[in-house]
Amino acid sequence: METYPTKEVLKDLIEGRLDWPRIKQIMSSPKDSDRFMKYLALAQERVKWTEQILLPLGEHLYIVAKNGERVVKCDCGQEFGDWRGNWKLRALIYSRDTREKLEGIYPGARCPDPQWCEVREFYCPGCGTQLEVESVPPGYPITFDFLPDLDAFHEQWLERPLPDRIEAQDRSGEVIRRWVGDLKREKRVGTKHNGKATGSRKSR
Amino acid sequence: MTQETAQPLIVTCDAGGTMTDILVVDAAGRFSVGKASTTPQDESLGFWESLEDALGGWGVKLDGAGALKPLEASIYTGTTMLNTLLQRRGKRVGLIITKGFEDSFVVERGFQAVAGYSYADRLHTVTHVHNSPLVPRHLVKGATERIDLFGNVVIPLYEHEVRDAVTELIKAGVETIAILFLFSYINPAHEQSAARIARQTAKRMGREIPVFISSEISPTIRELARLNSVVIQAYAAEPVRAQLFHIEDRLERAGARNPLQTVLAYGGLAPVRYPRLYESVVSGPVGGLLGARYLGEVTGLNNLITADMGGTSFDVGLVTEGKIPLVREPEFARFIFNLPMVTINSIGAGAGTYIRLDPMTRRIILGPESAGAEPGPVCYDHGNEIPTVVDCDLILGMVNPDYYLGGKIKLNKEKALRRFREEIADPLGLNVYDAAQGVVRLINSLMRDQIRSLVLAKGYSTMDYTLIAFGGAGPMHMAGFTEGLALKGLATVPYAAAFSAFGCATVDYSHRYQRSTHLFVPAGAGPDVKASVAEGLTRAWRELEQKALAEMTAEGFDRASINLQQAAFVRYGGQLDDVEVFSPTSRMNTPADVDALIARFEDLYSRIYVSGARFPEAGFQILEVAAVATVPKVKPLIERRPLGAPTPPARARKGVRKIYRDGRWHDAQIFEMGELGPGNVIDGPAVIEASNTTLLVPERRRARFDEWGLIWVE
Repeated sequence: METYPTKEVLKDLIEGRLDWPRIKQIMSSPKDSDRFMKYLALAQERVKWTEQILLPLGEHLYIVAKNGERVVKCDCGQEFGDWRGNWKLRALIYSRDTREKLEGIYPGARCPDPQWCEVREFYCPGCGTQLEVESVPPGYPITFDFLPDLDAFHEQWLERPLPDRIEAQDRSGEVIRRWVGDLKREKRVGTKHNGKATGSRKSR
Repeated sequence: MTQETAQPLIVTCDAGGTMTDILVVDAAGRFSVGKASTTPQDESLGFWESLEDALGGWGVKLDGAGALKPLEASIYTGTTMLNTLLQRRGKRVGLIITKGFEDSFVVERGFQAVAGYSYADRLHTVTHVHNSPLVPRHLVKGATERIDLFGNVVIPLYEHEVRDAVTELIKAGVETIAILFLFSYINPAHEQSAARIARQTAKRMGREIPVFISSEISPTIRELARLNSVVIQAYAAEPVRAQLFHIEDRLERAGARNPLQTVLAYGGLAPVRYPRLYESVVSGPVGGLLGARYLGEVTGLNNLITADMGGTSFDVGLVTEGKIPLVREPEFARFIFNLPMVTINSIGAGAGTYIRLDPMTRRIILGPESAGAEPGPVCYDHGNEIPTVVDCDLILGMVNPDYYLGGKIKLNKEKALRRFREEIADPLGLNVYDAAQGVVRLINSLMRDQIRSLVLAKGYSTMDYTLIAFGGAGPMHMAGFTEGLALKGLATVPYAAAFSAFGCATVDYSHRYQRSTHLFVPAGAGPDVKASVAEGLTRAWRELEQKALAEMTAEGFDRASINLQQAAFVRYGGQLDDVEVFSPTSRMNTPADVDALIARFEDLYSRIYVSGARFPEAGFQILEVAAVATVPKVKPLIERRPLGAPTPPARARKGVRKIYRDGRWHDAQIFEMGELGPGNVIDGPAVIEASNTTLLVPERRRARFDEWGLIWVE
């Protein structure tokens, strides 16, 4: 038995080919110091595009370096803009905010009260993959799950500083202001907005 | 030793995960130890090889048909059942269960999701997982019926549903059927009818299929443990029986007259035909504790701590006032059972335990896994590159590289040193000897904590206890892991490596029979309440005894030789733990008999805890009763031998070796254990070597060989 999982074993792990005892053993053992780099290299091999992955954000999303910027990208190639602006604002959103919609996943007595709870599902506009789900009170702002300090992570943890520095500051407000600006402009030129509280928006 | 006259009287076998140890004892109390690799596919092969090895020590050959004629008892413990469970390769079982409970195997109990886990894993919920069911869902059928907690029939058994279920299960190819209904431990009527229907249905289909019901296998409260018991009997115990018959057959052909026995979890012996063979599921580690109790009985030590350090685990047990406490709901292979088992605390710390550095924190991580016999520690040079505790012992000069297992395995010290330096010492910036010493101290302190917590958590003091260390690595580490513990005494035996097998040889033929009850004596209860409790106890005991006598006489024991003891598990009303109280009278005839039982409970309770903890105001509950049937068996003789001179004989001296302790090198005298005898005293620093173990005597301490064959480290 090898001390630490090799890259091949990690690949099997990601692709769901390991049996439970082996997974449990990996979970219960200490990590080797280059586990993250192995994982990053694997992630890079698995995607079709060539931008350098700086940090995986989940099963399908990555923060990548692109033309001096850092953008969120789906493994299908769809981009969600600068990592400091919540990527969810550029996803397709399906909001389960009525009893009928909630019953689709929580039938009968298990259904929560739509006046107290709304379930938002976020989908990739490129490939339709469900990327994230959040459950919040109705009207609650879209949550920004994770704004990593990429420079600090690469410099202090991985000890491989990135060539440029960009301060990790929440820019979601700008994205929202652009949304609002777009809406106002649409109103001024007289185009009637379809009035859906939640719907699809693509902004590029 | 006069080898010509040695004739095997008792053969015991402990087939462990890596080695099969056999201990042969003769009428004069002499031992011979045999070792062979365990052969999991057919354990009889390893058994036979190990037996040949052991008898070879006496010059007895097994090919002659009469070689085993003098044999009085042969006892086997193994790991087949464990492996059958772990690898899920048991029989194809069909399960019939009270309708609505078909998902019991999926739902389990929360505890089973972490059963067998280390403390760290228990905290990490991501590792928690349910067992994969022993019976797949499509082979579980519900039958409508209901008996309530008082044993009343609320819904009759829908017999046609049982018939349909059995038909479907047989068509689906099951090899055996298990049946569990709720509250069957109070009223087994529905289970019994269902079993009858199942047998009839199978017969009509031209099939003979074994049927097991939970009220026969384990008539105790809580259905998950009962379900595990009945299914594991059907799933794993029956295939094991086939292997045991195979061993018994070979023994018989070599002249053995008595049936092969196996050790049960609570420390009894039962023949391999025993109907509830699953009770032998955890028998291996039990031996050490039983051996210590026997040793204590003979030599007059009645408070003992047993510390068994083998290759993979460290097992600690207690004998208090000559009694071994039982756990009621032990966990094994990630299943909980309702089966009394001797109390043993186990951690993954052994001689083969891996040593690693956490790459992030640079902290030393010990285990929890270990190298086993193959590939073994680095010094075996069989392909393992991860240092182990034995490698440290070797680096520090404690282990003789040319005398490991009597020289059967040559140890590669260079490699152990190099790998330990690369993996541990260099990254820590320590010199290799200090680092190795640090690792040994660390594992010793882990074991010390384990001992301390077992004794102190019970409210006992280590000062009242003598610690007996055994297992292959016990004598090497015993001085270390007891450092700072105030003990009454510290001892080991020359046969430390085969002590578990020795322990199995000291067990009597004994079976336990238990069942749940609902009996309550409120505070200030009048004679009529007590009379009804007395009647309930007597009825339950009589029922258990009938079963006990029927089974033991069927095993060939004379009725007159069977000794019966009656016990009740008593607790204060509302408490969660109970105490096993052996009844002063075999029957409860009067309310005064109940009072006597309760008085004995209160006395025991105040000795286990303190008298101020007693709580008679809450009344007394009896939720389980037991009967123990025992027939004495011949035991290995532990003879008192005359003490010789303190000075060891010159032929025992093997020279001087440098050992590293406390940051410097010491010149340790080396002795051959086999050449030392009663009365000899060895001053530390010294190393006493035997073929299968090594005893370290640190500086400022000494080893004294007493008249009973014990070696005291003082």
